[in-house]
Amino acid sequence: MAEVFARLSSRAIALGLGTLLLVAACSTGGTTGNQGASSTDVTVWTAWGGDELKAFRDVLKPFTDKTGIKVHITTNRDSTNQIANGIAAGTDLPDVAPGPTDPTQVKSWVSKGALKPIETALGSDQFKSYIDNTYPALTTPPSGQSDNPYIGVINGKHYFLMVKTQVKGLFWYNKKVFTGTAPKTFDELLALNPSQYGGAKNIFCAGFESGAASGWPASDQIDNIIMRQSGDQIYTNWIQGKVKFTDPAIKLGYQTFLKEVSGSTVFGGSNTALSTNFAKAGDPLFNSPPGCLFLEQATFIANFFHQNKGVTAGTDFDFFAHPSMGKTEFDGNVNGFYDQFSMYNDTPAARQLLQYLATKDAQQIWANAGGTLGAIKTLTYNDPIYKRAAEIANGAKNLLVTAGDFMPSDMQKAFWQSLLNVTRDPGSLDSQLKHLDQVQAAAYTTS
Amino acid sequence: MDQIITAAVAVVAVPLVLLGYIVLGERVIEALPDRLQVAIRPYFWALPAIGFATIFMIYPLVRTVIISFRNSEDSDWIGFANYKYFFTFPDTLTSLRNSLLWLIFYTSISVILGLVIAILLDRVRYESLAKIAIFLPVPISAVAASIIWKFMFDYQAPGTPQTGTLNALIGTIGHEPVAWLINSTTNNAALIFVGIWTVTGFCMVIISASLKAISTEVLEAARMDGANEFQIVRLVVTPLLWPTITVVGTTMIINALKTFDIVYVMTNGAYDTDVIATQMFSQLQHSHYGRAAAVGVVLFIAIVPLLVVNIRRFQQQEEQR
Repeated sequence: MAEVFARLSSRAIALGLGTLLLVAACSTGGTTGNQGASSTDVTVWTAWGGDELKAFRDVLKPFTDKTGIKVHITTNRDSTNQIANGIAAGTDLPDVAPGPTDPTQVKSWVSKGALKPIETALGSDQFKSYIDNTYPALTTPPSGQSDNPYIGVINGKHYFLMVKTQVKGLFWYNKKVFTGTAPKTFDELLALNPSQYGGAKNIFCAGFESGAASGWPASDQIDNIIMRQSGDQIYTNWIQGKVKFTDPAIKLGYQTFLKEVSGSTVFGGSNTALSTNFAKAGDPLFNSPPGCLFLEQATFIANFFHQNKGVTAGTDFDFFAHPSMGKTEFDGNVNGFYDQFSMYNDTPAARQLLQYLATKDAQQIWANAGGTLGAIKTLTYNDPIYKRAAEIANGAKNLLVTAGDFMPSDMQKAFWQSLLNVTRDPGSLDSQLKHLDQVQAAAYTTS
Repeated sequence: MDQIITAAVAVVAVPLVLLGYIVLGERVIEALPDRLQVAIRPYFWALPAIGFATIFMIYPLVRTVIISFRNSEDSDWIGFANYKYFFTFPDTLTSLRNSLLWLIFYTSISVILGLVIAILLDRVRYESLAKIAIFLPVPISAVAASIIWKFMFDYQAPGTPQTGTLNALIGTIGHEPVAWLINSTTNNAALIFVGIWTVTGFCMVIISASLKAISTEVLEAARMDGANEFQIVRLVVTPLLWPTITVVGTTMIINALKTFDIVYVMTNGAYDTDVIATQMFSQLQHSHYGRAAAVGVVLFIAIVPLLVVNIRRFQQQEEQR
């Protein structure tokens, strides 16, 4: 045995070493080609796929044509975690990628220097026009404050470049069924008699199922209630874990939410709301006789109506804004979300890309592609739905983020599941809230 | 391109390095006196395997135990706080209860069904056909099986056409649809049922193979002595199958304890269906590494006795040969 090896050895080793060297040479050659540190390449991570990715490529085309800078896009739905690992390990980061949503992460990445200010990327002139042209709620912290990690503002500096936005908490209806005027208050909404409108069965439709993220549509509904019922201050403090779930304001929010999903108000009863996927929740709007009058959902749902039922925005269906909860001082609170980019490597190419994405020309391409609002106020929309959504975004006093998305992830999961549980069994409300307090106490600590 | 190079490195370079280690090492050892050669050679050959096991199994194990006593930032010792959390927090207690349900019902039903089916099919002519039918779910990945069953359990508003097979069926006898995965009396049972459906075929095949190994002479002798078929199954076949049943059973217990995919895909732990493994995963997801490690350690401690039983069983079988 040993002799065989001995005879084989010298040749094998020579061959092996040769292969290794070759492999090493190839692999280093291969990786440098993908890095964006040069002035003609920029690497971008995004969570977009499908049509959204296609729209993004369309947005980038004029940029590449004009500057010759190649944009290497990677669809990465786990980018925050991977970037966090990259920062911890000191490995390569993408040049441009979405910033983190967790406020503590935003602060920590800024202090570590991983996030580069948008001010430097855009230069002072363009930065000023960016602030002037973008929806104020996306760039301006509440008056007198220098921080709002939810929109990426730390110590007065901006770390998110806002590019797209959506408005949540809209009530969608079939124009052929609901012919009345939009109710001004939530009480007026609940007082409607659905059978007067084409024999509809219930006031609301709902669908809370969304695979592993089930419950988020319900959380949008309660968020829109709480921010208008108890105000942005309590709402934001609650997200940050400074207001308990058993607090009367939050409990009132849950109780009001339950009015939207009780057996008599929601189509098919609570089990139907729990079992129905959010994307199909609005289908009964278009059945005959209609299952319900309204579905509460964000702007994006228009695409699903069109896809599922072949109906057209503006002619077949429309929406009205969330009615007042009876507190006029909080009527300017609007629930929305946004897409943003942060700069992780301050290269000339990355700066140029962000400068381009902040322009009206770039964002108009997104607006034309449909399915979203841009972040700039003065874009034009062909779609009547987005034209009106833009008005709502523009009129917003505070554009408030969705609560669950900005809670620690275990809090988020417990929050979403609590909404499913109280929908299933409203009698469990108090025990659910007490349990959420326990989760809250454990989630906001580091142990 | 990069992936191909990485694969090439793994397939070509790693064995080459190992080959180089053996060739060069053997040369050195051959130069030693004979007695020393005999003493050193086994360790020399076993070293790479021990090295791999240390790096990829023992080190992570030790590290997990250490992490379970530290905070999520890994910056401070916090004693048994993570374990206290695991054994006192309502969510983790629910997952512990559910894992126990899985352990009892998933294991017993799948093994008993496997045994009964194997014995029954042993006595019919269309055996292989029936076996194929029962084995069919085994190669389906748990995720695909979960999605299939999600459709089966589907629920639509009462009074509208039911797209879920089960609700359509009970609708034909005029029963209201049941929200199988939401209703707390049915949801855990529904999930465990899916688990049993995917694994019964496996239990059956293993038990059936060992059943075929029982010589017909033994059975004939029993019949000659006047035993009826029930007595034969109870007093002759089952004891002879016992070693196999233990191995299948312990494997199923381990499966039950580490159940993850079915729960994750079908409910993600909503409506009180979490199990230990999904709990560990969500702790990881929420960056509570200490708590996740504590769950892992508890799970490991629960599985160790079963591993010991299994290894003993293997050793006994080795000795019998």
